[in-house]
Amino acid sequence: MKLNIEGLLVYFPYDYIYPEQYSYMLELKRTLDAKGHGVLEMPSGTGKTISLLSLIVAYQSAFPLEVTKLIYCSRTVPEIEKVVEELRKLMEYYAKETGERNNFLALALSSRKNLCIHPEVSALRFGKEVDGKCHSLTASYIRSQRHTDPNLPLCSFYEEFDAVGRQVPLPAGIYNLDDLKDFGKRKGWCPYYLARYSILHANIVVYSYHYLLDPKIADLVSKELAKNSVVVFDEAHNIDNVCIDSMSVNITRRTLDRCQNNVDTLQNTIHNIKESDAAKLKEEYRRLVEGLKEANVARETDVYLANPVLPDEILREAVPGSIRTAEHFVGFLKRFLEYLKSRLRVQHVVQESAPQFLKDIFEKVCIDRKPLRFCAERLQSLLRTLEIADIADFSAVTLISNFATLVSTYSQGFTIIIEPFEDRTPTIANPVLHFSCMDPSIAIKPVFQRFQSVVITSGTLSPLDIYPRILDFRPVTMASFTMTLARTCLCPLIVGRGNDQVTLSSKFETREDIAVIRNYGNLLLEMSAIVPDGIVAFFTSYIYMENIVASWYEQGILENIQRNKLIFIETPDAAETSMALEKYQQACENGRGAILLSVARGKVSEGIDFVHHFGRAVIMFGVPYVYTQSRILKARLEYLRDQFQIRENDFLTFDAMRHAAQCVGRALRGKTDYGLMVFADKRYARADKRGKLPRWIQEHISDGSLNLTIDETVQLSKHFLRQMAQPFRQEDQLGLSLLTLEQLESEEMLKKITQIAHQT
Amino acid sequence: MASLSEEVLLVVKKVRQKKQDGTLYLMAERIAWGPEGKDRFTVSHLYADIRCQKISPDGKAKVQLQLVLHTGENITFHFANESTAVKDRDAAKELLQQLLPKFKKKANKELEEKNRMLQEDPVLFQLYKDLVVSQVISAEEFWANRLGGVNNTDQALYNNNKQEVGISGAFLADIRPQTDGCNGLRYNLTADIIESIFRTYPAVKQKYCENVPHNLTEKEFWTRFFQSHYFHRDRLNTGTQDIFSECAKQDEKGLKSMVIQGVKNPLLNLLALDDNTLDEGYGVCSPQPSTSVANRTVKESSNSAIIKRFNHHSAMVLAAGSRKGETLNDQGSETSSTDGNSRDSDCFHPPVKKAKLQEATEYDDLQGENRPKTVPLNLKKSDRYAHGPVPLQSHQYTTSQDIINSVNYIHHEMSNYKPNLTQVMSSTAASSAIAALSPGGILMQGGAPQAIHQMIPTDIQGELKHLYVAAGELLRHYWSCFPVNTPFLEEKLTGHLEEMLQAAYNKFHAWQTRRMMRKT
Repeated sequence: MKLNIEGLLVYFPYDYIYPEQYSYMLELKRTLDAKGHGVLEMPSGTGKTISLLSLIVAYQSAFPLEVTKLIYCSRTVPEIEKVVEELRKLMEYYAKETGERNNFLALALSSRKNLCIHPEVSALRFGKEVDGKCHSLTASYIRSQRHTDPNLPLCSFYEEFDAVGRQVPLPAGIYNLDDLKDFGKRKGWCPYYLARYSILHANIVVYSYHYLLDPKIADLVSKELAKNSVVVFDEAHNIDNVCIDSMSVNITRRTLDRCQNNVDTLQNTIHNIKESDAAKLKEEYRRLVEGLKEANVARETDVYLANPVLPDEILREAVPGSIRTAEHFVGFLKRFLEYLKSRLRVQHVVQESAPQFLKDIFEKVCIDRKPLRFCAERLQSLLRTLEIADIADFSAVTLISNFATLVSTYSQGFTIIIEPFEDRTPTIANPVLHFSCMDPSIAIKPVFQRFQSVVITSGTLSPLDIYPRILDFRPVTMASFTMTLARTCLCPLIVGRGNDQVTLSSKFETREDIAVIRNYGNLLLEMSAIVPDGIVAFFTSYIYMENIVASWYEQGILENIQRNKLIFIETPDAAETSMALEKYQQACENGRGAILLSVARGKVSEGIDFVHHFGRAVIMFGVPYVYTQSRILKARLEYLRDQFQIRENDFLTFDAMRHAAQCVGRALRGKTDYGLMVFADKRYARADKRGKLPRWIQEHISDGSLNLTIDETVQLSKHFLRQMAQPFRQEDQLGLSLLTLEQLESEEMLKKITQIAHQT
Repeated sequence: MASLSEEVLLVVKKVRQKKQDGTLYLMAERIAWGPEGKDRFTVSHLYADIRCQKISPDGKAKVQLQLVLHTGENITFHFANESTAVKDRDAAKELLQQLLPKFKKKANKELEEKNRMLQEDPVLFQLYKDLVVSQVISAEEFWANRLGGVNNTDQALYNNNKQEVGISGAFLADIRPQTDGCNGLRYNLTADIIESIFRTYPAVKQKYCENVPHNLTEKEFWTRFFQSHYFHRDRLNTGTQDIFSECAKQDEKGLKSMVIQGVKNPLLNLLALDDNTLDEGYGVCSPQPSTSVANRTVKESSNSAIIKRFNHHSAMVLAAGSRKGETLNDQGSETSSTDGNSRDSDCFHPPVKKAKLQEATEYDDLQGENRPKTVPLNLKKSDRYAHGPVPLQSHQYTTSQDIINSVNYIHHEMSNYKPNLTQVMSSTAASSAIAALSPGGILMQGGAPQAIHQMIPTDIQGELKHLYVAAGELLRHYWSCFPVNTPFLEEKLTGHLEEMLQAAYNKFHAWQTRRMMRKT
């Protein structure tokens, strides 16, 4: 259907529309109009992605100069591919309606592992290996060496692309990862480099967060993306953690040992080169004197996305003299390395700030702040000059140099914690230096600064106001959308007590309590008898799950559950869990029914959807608080309190509730779907917890279902399931939660729609 | 005694049959019973005719032995010798137990089957009479074609109708150990449970085959099974003398191979989920400490063993349930063979992925009704649907308007009727016309088709039918020879099939002439 969103013609590739989709598009349009940022929460399964795409594509067609590019960031590879498929649907609809193919170019970009078509390289299993191998075949100096020695191996796909591929732009169309590979195979071009090259002129780019948030990758891939792009972070409820991860560094003794090897290799290589090709080193020296002027010019003219690792100040300066020659730099690295080694020899936990660290390093080994800041840049230059083939081998020294630059650049937002051993095993020495980022806004700041509109959206972003605070930006729109439902297809229940009135809770004091564990078991047992097909149960942590499973096994509860359904359990091994997942789905498919025991914050809870019969009930055992004894977390909480005035408890609860919401939201992926959401912990009933659940879940929790016993839960569930099992036709939804164009345009409905968006 | 030349293996006196005392003789090839004081057998059966024997339960007052014959008939012997009744019966039973299997041949069973088929299917019986008895076709040939076909269809029916029964997920839980009061445990095993164990854990079955009965008795085997770490999954491996430690290793291997095989659904592959390029050393979470085996406590590793075992158990139960179906599918469709174990077939991968993605991005309620709507078949008269079109008699359909019009017309005619008395029929002509129009009259006899089966006597009809069916059967044989791809078929075709057809034709001709003769 063709929609009129405040004067903008939007093609929507379906005959019907959900009211909230219309409302969502309205808000999105306002965000784009204002050229500002937005935070939008919309329940999962209400067609968020297609609404986003429809509106932004329409906007791009209407105002091609104002929005040139859509950068759509998602979390996982399947999600990226899903987005592209939806986009394909939209474009097909455009072609059908307008009768002509518009010349949109949209493509997905992923790591080499997912795009490589080189027969040997793509056979490697791990992403890192693929990257390293690829680099050893395609690095510029390798290729220039081949002029003298034609026997060196090469990647014909890259050569072909380099020779021909850059002249002809990728023809307009929608390219998913597989399409890119097909295209690459047909042409004999490398799909990865083709994609990386093509994102510069593509209208829509779909890739993972890291390509924008991780400074190391963003610098390579996304640096030159146009300023007037719209950036969308989908499934963004965890965006702060992604930011923090990309800026944090851990250094172990193993890292230092490997680093030592790297430095030795560097030294030898320099020694060799000096004898054979001294001119090369001189040339490098000259370049370093001139400094990073080029980069500076580019950034000033607003061509580049800023790199938070490479702050503005150092761009204006030349590399300091003390590390300008290669030998000096290697000597510098050695000194730095020795210093780190001495720091790791501590016997007790040390926590200090970056300035403290710098002061100490200056006192101990006379390393100044300034050369440290140039460390990462200087190392890159050296590696290039020395023509090191396998970058992967030098990951350790790269890590150290990145650490050096970060620690000397940011005096705030980071903390250094040195732990001589793990808390659980105080006898085994395993010193780790955590250089931990506490401020997610550092990594994302360049994104907000550079791009005109950044939209953060997810099914679970409650409470909305916390994201702008921790990411430090001013949104122009903030809205949470409810789910219009013709039938209440979700049933959140809070189970607070067992049948014997024992309080159910995963809180630390009662964690080992056998009565609680038994009651949890009974809950699962009873539910397994009444819920058809699949049940997914989430625990707060892996260790907790292990313990509970063991005692359920001893008590014979698992055996009784097995009478009703098969049991599959998530393990720390991803491959094993994948297998269990597939078997779980198979058991749901063939009617036997199964239970999946899984962990909140685990891979399953973040990336796998349990549509329809794959998840008729989700049981959340306990409140998934993060492990609060961790020093890194404590430091972060302190920082949040000091900098953003967010109370520790508020943040912890917010974090726990967003994960709980993620878990229970897995079961409901649409309006025709239905699912029970059982929160098995008394604490969920409290207003401060409940209030942090997304609105679309919150509004279905009735006062009567706040502190249920297991029996009551079973009764309510039975009732709910019986109701849901009745046939549900499109006609039932029509006019309420599903609209035709005609219905949409009625005065009354438009009035109703304005109430869907809940501004904060 | 009539046939004392036979070897008598056992004689049991005081055996009652039909409330008559007598003596039971077990001979080399038959079992016989003669009433007391008479020297002839009133009951005598070949062992080959006996299907099975049954005995009365131990507690019963009457000690009896029952023989069931293939014909379905049964004979009961009552051992009446008070002191030795049970012993007598058991002796007879033991002997029969040894003898009966020798006579139970496959041919017997087949014969029985053929017999049953002929009895159940009168058409087939007639066909048999027409073709085999009249020696148009040899009996073997008749059955060769027939039995094969029957068996096949039978099997297909069997597969369709009877669903493979899966295994209960909790079969091990059903073996509730009971204390027997003196520091021991009793496990109750049923044949079902044993089968479940075997089907779920082929390794155990293998062990069973290896060790029972030459190394261990069955009881010992199961005792060890329940004592082993293998059964109690949480216990750590204690000794190497445990015969099941190998099973555990095999299971481990099986699990590993399953894991290595990976998953077919790309959306579920957690390994490929992340597009994460964070190098080692970056990120907040330090490398998981729990993965290093060294510093895990015994309890923890036993916990994780339980978890692994549960996953494995569930997977095996699931596989045991679907194994049969899968192998069938493998033969049937080519696509399913690819998802079995040839994971490397990359060409197969993308379509699955595409389909899954397609599925995941579809909103069926947003879409209009673009798929063809299926209309449920609503049959008012199912027999009409099953039997095909019936030749409509010449009446044409008239619309209701036509009927109303014509009724009106007749009404009009009648009301305006004026007898034209000058041109009336003669009374005889009128009465004959009335007779002809009344039921039974010449004009009311209905159409011709009804006549044929009334005109021809039933016996002729029957004979003709038989000839027709027999000829049809021969033609079936004939056509089943095509394509002629074996020398045997060729020989059959050129050789005796031709003769058979000739014979059938002759037979028909003979029948025809006989009929003609009788008619004239």
